[in-house]
Amino acid sequence: MKGLVEIDREARKESFMNNLDGRIKLISALLIIVYAVTSSNILILGIMEIYLILLIYLSNVSPKYALKRIALVLPFGGFMAMIQPFFQPGNIIWTGPFEWLHITDYGLFFGALLLARVTVSVTSVVFLSSATSMQDLVASAQKLGVPYQLAMLLNLTVRYLFFFYDQLVNILNAQSTRCFDIFNKKTAYKWRLRKVGETITMMFIRAFEQGENVYISMVCRGYSENTRMYQEKGKIDFKDYAFLSTTVLVIFSLQLVTMFVI
Amino acid sequence: MHVPDGLLGLTWPIYIIIAAVAVIYSLKWASENLDERNVPLLAVLAAGIFAIQAMNVPIPWGTSGHMVGAALIAIIFVSPWAAVLVLSIVLILQGFIYGDGGITALGVNIVNMGIIGGFVGFYGYKTLKGIGRIPAIFIAAWAATFLASIACAVELSIAGTFPLAAGVASMGLYHAVIGVIEAVITVVVILGIDRVRPDLLPDWISSRKTEAV
Repeated sequence: MKGLVEIDREARKESFMNNLDGRIKLISALLIIVYAVTSSNILILGIMEIYLILLIYLSNVSPKYALKRIALVLPFGGFMAMIQPFFQPGNIIWTGPFEWLHITDYGLFFGALLLARVTVSVTSVVFLSSATSMQDLVASAQKLGVPYQLAMLLNLTVRYLFFFYDQLVNILNAQSTRCFDIFNKKTAYKWRLRKVGETITMMFIRAFEQGENVYISMVCRGYSENTRMYQEKGKIDFKDYAFLSTTVLVIFSLQLVTMFVI
Repeated sequence: MHVPDGLLGLTWPIYIIIAAVAVIYSLKWASENLDERNVPLLAVLAAGIFAIQAMNVPIPWGTSGHMVGAALIAIIFVSPWAAVLVLSIVLILQGFIYGDGGITALGVNIVNMGIIGGFVGFYGYKTLKGIGRIPAIFIAAWAATFLASIACAVELSIAGTFPLAAGVASMGLYHAVIGVIEAVITVVVILGIDRVRPDLLPDWISSRKTEAV
């Protein structure tokens, strides 16, 4: 949650990528992810990752920040990749001291492939969210045909994410001024769990009350069930088409290389 | 339980289709069963659940986890579709903003946490409420988390990325404990709302019974 503010700050920076139309970036990121999860060639995925790093560089995002974000999301996928060598079938290339543990060649390859797929996909999301503000992302999704009801819910949720982030931080600050630390093992676990429950209750009630306030203020501004969200007309220009064409060309070329060269 | 991209092999489109149908149905449910006041409420509540999921809770053996909230939403809104809708919004944003849970894996994550979590939570409570409010909430919330994790292990096994027996054992054991935490927090939250804002709770979960006029 702490990263939310950082992500939004990065997404609002001025850069070549930030100035592109949100729809184009969304479609490009989705194409890359779909290609990555269906690709079975680690070298191709490596080239895809280099292309994404270039896009992140063009988004004026610091490499350290991008790496940190990728590293934060990788553990689950990384763990799944790391266990592959131990149970996938294949030729045994290493046997452990007690003979029940072994590593297979195919398992090693498959683990590396999964790690490459996960890394490219996560990098793609890091690129997308670093180059596109959340509001722009939702507006782009709506323009691309996401049902208006879902788009409206997403739009409202995005607006209130920061409000709840502040609320949560306020609650946690208030707790820490009273020396409450949820990870402090000197206090009884049951008591700590109860405190978490009470914090969540507070958040839940605030969400309910905020929902009522939002509804009233929306009604004051003329909201009804027939209300449709305003959509800013964004024109897709040459640089947008050029970027999308480049991405499609990269994917197409890599596929040709996979089929005829490697 | 947030499955990332790349672990589902070629099975991911199946879950995307199931999740898309469920989300469309949940939107239909919202427009037919909720008045216009509840639409912004659902959105704000999704933002609240997003924040709640960011709160890490320590787990006895040293790691940490977070609440999912599907059973809580399903019980409070008296419908599993509310959980499907709210969790879908949360998972879409987590996937696209944080990369927490994949984009092609969005379908499987909605199926596990939204659909299985919501339906098990709702029907679990509905079936068990005869044994008492608190035990019924507890078991329903625990089962929602536990069964969603078992489903996750089965799905990864079908995709060939995790052996079934080891997956069910490890995911099941881990989430059996996480489920207890989810269950305790769900009970504490519902009792807390009941004490502070009982008007927010539906009759089937409230300690106050509606007086006959």
